[in-house]
Amino acid sequence: MHKGLLEGIKRGETVIEARGITKRFPGVVANDHIDFEIRAGEIHAVLGENGAGKTTLMNILFGLLQPDEGEIYIGGQRVNFRSPLDAIDLGIGMVHQHRKLVSAHTVIENIILGHPKAGRILNLKKAEEEIAELCEKYGFKVDLRAKIWQLSEGEKQAVEILKTLYRGARVLILDEPTSALTPSETRKLLASIEAMARDELAIVPFITHKLPIVLAISDRVTVLRRGRVVSCQQTECATEKSLAREMVGREVIFRIERARVERGNPILQVENLSARSDKGFLALRGASFSIHEGEILGLAGISGNGQQELAEVLAGLRKAEGGRVIFEGQDITDASVLQRWQMGIGYIPSERTEVGSIGDFSLVENVAMNFYFDERFCRQGIVDYGKLQQLTEEIVSEYGVAAPSPVIKAKNLSGGNLQRLILARVLSRKPRLLIANLPTQGLDVGATEFVQNKLMQAKKEKAAILLISEDLDEILSVSDRVAPIYEGELMGILPAEEAMRETIGAMMAGLRSEGGEP
Amino acid sequence: MRVGAYELKLEKRVALAGWEATIISILAIVFALALFSILFILAGVHPLSAYREILAYAFVNSYGLPLTVNRFIFLLLCTSAFIIPLRARLWNIGMTGQFYAGALGAFAVLLAFGGKALPPPHLPPALVIPLMVTAAALSGAVLGAIAGFLKGRFNVNEIVVTMLLNFILYWLVAHMIKEGGPFMNPGGRGESFELPPSVYAPLIAGTPFTILLALGAAVFLHFLFAKSRLGYQIKAHGHSPAAARYAGISTFKIPFLVFVMGGVLAGLAGYHYFAAVPGVYKIARNYGYFGDLAFYGIICGLISLGNPLAAIPIALLFGGLSVGGRYVQGKLDMGFGVDYALLGVLMITLVAFQFFYRYRMVWMKTRRETVSVDGNLP
Repeated sequence: MHKGLLEGIKRGETVIEARGITKRFPGVVANDHIDFEIRAGEIHAVLGENGAGKTTLMNILFGLLQPDEGEIYIGGQRVNFRSPLDAIDLGIGMVHQHRKLVSAHTVIENIILGHPKAGRILNLKKAEEEIAELCEKYGFKVDLRAKIWQLSEGEKQAVEILKTLYRGARVLILDEPTSALTPSETRKLLASIEAMARDELAIVPFITHKLPIVLAISDRVTVLRRGRVVSCQQTECATEKSLAREMVGREVIFRIERARVERGNPILQVENLSARSDKGFLALRGASFSIHEGEILGLAGISGNGQQELAEVLAGLRKAEGGRVIFEGQDITDASVLQRWQMGIGYIPSERTEVGSIGDFSLVENVAMNFYFDERFCRQGIVDYGKLQQLTEEIVSEYGVAAPSPVIKAKNLSGGNLQRLILARVLSRKPRLLIANLPTQGLDVGATEFVQNKLMQAKKEKAAILLISEDLDEILSVSDRVAPIYEGELMGILPAEEAMRETIGAMMAGLRSEGGEP
Repeated sequence: MRVGAYELKLEKRVALAGWEATIISILAIVFALALFSILFILAGVHPLSAYREILAYAFVNSYGLPLTVNRFIFLLLCTSAFIIPLRARLWNIGMTGQFYAGALGAFAVLLAFGGKALPPPHLPPALVIPLMVTAAALSGAVLGAIAGFLKGRFNVNEIVVTMLLNFILYWLVAHMIKEGGPFMNPGGRGESFELPPSVYAPLIAGTPFTILLALGAAVFLHFLFAKSRLGYQIKAHGHSPAAARYAGISTFKIPFLVFVMGGVLAGLAGYHYFAAVPGVYKIARNYGYFGDLAFYGIICGLISLGNPLAAIPIALLFGGLSVGGRYVQGKLDMGFGVDYALLGVLMITLVAFQFFYRYRMVWMKTRRETVSVDGNLP
């Protein structure tokens, strides 16, 4: 392959062109004759719902998948990628949503890992200088000698970007780059992206739901829906509403209507609850709160501040280190997971594929996860799969899960559809208490709206809901009361309607509220 | 690979139908037999006549067939004992030890009833035989429970535990039946005392009733995994322990139960071979040979992809070939262990052919222009 196809390319010239890309997977056309073009020096956002074909297209451009039809041109030359190695050699870099770093190694070691210049003898000093130069140029602030596990999400991402740049990438494909970042990390990343674009690098962030970011940084935006290009336009001509409409195919209401529900009796009371993380430190420290019938309590905070531990203790998956959990007047601190399900507690875990579902199980078997113990579906130890299939068909159609049949495997569902299935499964138990851990993370506009509406509906049906989210807008618009959490401690509890965004933001960063109720 | 304008490509299978798996397995067996004929030819034996001899002895001959059936019962029980933990993604490498434990349990009952005395006393079969079967099952279960408990409670690797228990039980059997051991044969021939004829296992058309246990267990397991709540829990734990835990399935109960159940079946194999097979009726001196044969439960279980019904024909084939191979070795005066060699080749081929469970080959017409453009790139 040509190594230097992209050498000396000038601003505005076409870097990559894809023509008529078609990729079929069993039962679905993921990419349907897609034409797509990236120019040097531009930030070209790709938008689309989960399952619209963004990832497939990018994987094809990166050589991870081979298209069934269509051609790819790089710098005007027809190419045929056999593997990502070919793409990398031609100057295409991709930063995946999930980090691919060796956590026990240092930043430098990770960056030079697999680099052709890193032969048998490592010249760490020279590499360090070169990498430091890159950092300087694009405004990345990372301690190059730190070990990966010591870094924050944003810093890890910077390492991945540096790795591709150091490898000589002229085109950078970023998969949902801001999804795991805090607001300040996002700002820094965007500044770096702009700096890189000024340097004639072509950048393709593809993003599902953060439309304001698309509008703020990109030059052009391509919208995909159901494997086809719906539009490709200059970002100046687009608005948040027009993009959302193109993505979803209908009007999207951004502000969800907060349902007015009479606040009833307390369902969940948590007293001075503490728990340790997997690493053994006290991740949740003395949390006390209550959730009432028909109320949504929003737990606001950056991931890793004890939310996961709190959710798991409430679901029975983690032992409490101290304190009590009272559900409808009953002490359930030591109750088993199964007992909690049977009592009417439902948990939507943040790890959809690892915990919330079983990829090799059919949809019916996945639905059975919350019903195999239920007398209506299992008598004398025999599971009634016929009845479960009926239930699955019902909830698949009610919750709009895009699946050709209830017996396909769950791993064939896209992220948004999987989350719909999990939500449907848990909500159809009609839980009295629902713990929703990052229920809309990584979902597109349409699916997010859907999930939030379903939470509202459950609230109307008198469920008590704990909503754990990193998205402050979501917390403020959906919940009734907000509890910011920082380093395992609740910083106070405020009524959501009166809460100021800035106040909550400050509390998420560790500032305690003055007069909030405990 | 290219032939003319066509290219042979591998394509990932989306799903595998039962009949496809069957055809692939049959092709694998044919291929293995063809491969093994090279060895026969090298040894100067006509492969077709060798195979005729093997199959005729194993499946037709009135001396060979009962041997095959008894091997089959033994192998099927061991295979089922392997399959149950396998469905929970746990590896039972301890069928050998559980098999020994079952044999010891059965003979302990005899000893308690004074069965060691000479001349052999008359024992009430309606009481003693069920007790022997139960004791064999329980002894296997206890051994399985050790591995299951350690796995469920402390997450100790089950492969290591079951494997090491095999050694302990091997020497325990030696201790029990050799010089001075409580089960020692009064003649001191390095084997256990003989079963009193009054408690020989009942035969059904010349076959020990244990065949019903083995077939019944396979059918029961099929039902367990297809329909029951416990089967669902085992499968869920097998696919994802974290997801199973989330769904309220105990991460202690499942490993514990699957090893207990596996132990029960392997323990029954111990009763079967040493107390039910006509002509054996004692813990034989070469008990280690059967212990080694128990490992074939792993192979049969893997080839059947954990399907307890598919294990039936596979166990029958392996049982038959091990008997026929041993026979033909003597009959044709061959200088190597035909039985184990044949099983080995078969095993490797069947495992290699599982590649086709996941991929299939398709002929695709190549597009000339693509090739040339591809070729242009330096």
